[in-house]
Amino acid sequence: MDTILRATAGYFILLLVVRVLARRAGSQMTLFEFVLVFLIGGVIILATLGPDRSVTNCTCAVIAVASLHRFVSWAKSRSPRIGAIVDGTPIVIVQGGEWREDVLKGMGVRREGVVAAARMHGIGSSSDIQYAVLERNGGITVMTRS
Amino acid sequence: MTRESFLNPVEDSVPKVDDEIAVGEDLDFQRRWWRFEKLVWTVFLIVIVCDLAGLFGRGWLAKAEASTPDRALIVDYERIERANTPSTMTLRFGPAAIRNGHVQFHVSDAVVRDLGAQRIAPQPSTSTPGRGGISYVVPVTAAPAAVQIQLQPAAPGRYTFKIQLADAAPITRRVLVLP
Repeated sequence: MDTILRATAGYFILLLVVRVLARRAGSQMTLFEFVLVFLIGGVIILATLGPDRSVTNCTCAVIAVASLHRFVSWAKSRSPRIGAIVDGTPIVIVQGGEWREDVLKGMGVRREGVVAAARMHGIGSSSDIQYAVLERNGGITVMTRS
Repeated sequence: MTRESFLNPVEDSVPKVDDEIAVGEDLDFQRRWWRFEKLVWTVFLIVIVCDLAGLFGRGWLAKAEASTPDRALIVDYERIERANTPSTMTLRFGPAAIRNGHVQFHVSDAVVRDLGAQRIAPQPSTSTPGRGGISYVVPVTAAPAAVQIQLQPAAPGRYTFKIQLADAAPITRRVLVLP
């Protein structure tokens, strides 16, 4: 019982922390962010299991977390609002060639990151970027002037 | 109230930027989320400050001292404990507590049952259960002398414990055990 409650608390605390961290923690994970994810994950594991390190307890914790994840996924599929809260919405960084500074600041995204994404799309100059969209998964989609 | 654009299913109705690119962006929602993020980070900062100060145990604000009026017994304890986390309660005895080379004191059941007393050091010469707790007799040469009780509460809650010297008024205090 305790394990299920601790796993539930741990899951939602972790979800909140990861959500309020910069979105790019998802797909463009740097070594620095790997350290963060593993450290937070390790700390949550300690709190979830408590002093009971038995196979039974670990199995219950894993099943509880998996079930919670399934439940949140189901809730996301049923409600776009929950999807937006959990995953966020795509957001335009460059619109019609104009950089949206408030979005860059709000999302903690640097221009260099967008230009790097543009290079991956074969775009050599930032002046060629017509639209750049920060996707839910942290990836940046770049479109050029047609 | 306008319907948020992210509520629209992903099809042609997805809001377009400049009537050109279907993104499904909702800047209003995003701005509300940024305000929420600021609130969350403020709460996180408060949590860190509280933790550093010991408001969640294991720190300056958590440490407490209680004593009898004549200071024959002084109890150093933590008023805020954490479940399954070891801590130490120290009983310091003044000259008035020592009689015939011994101190005799009584601890309530809450110290053992709720606060999870693991061991007592030094080992008492006698331990006698009764009167809703355990009475200990510890040989002592001279004041100051101290006895340490290792605690490890098993469950969160608010517990009241009593510690009493023989023939003296008890010290009664409350301890909050956090999850």
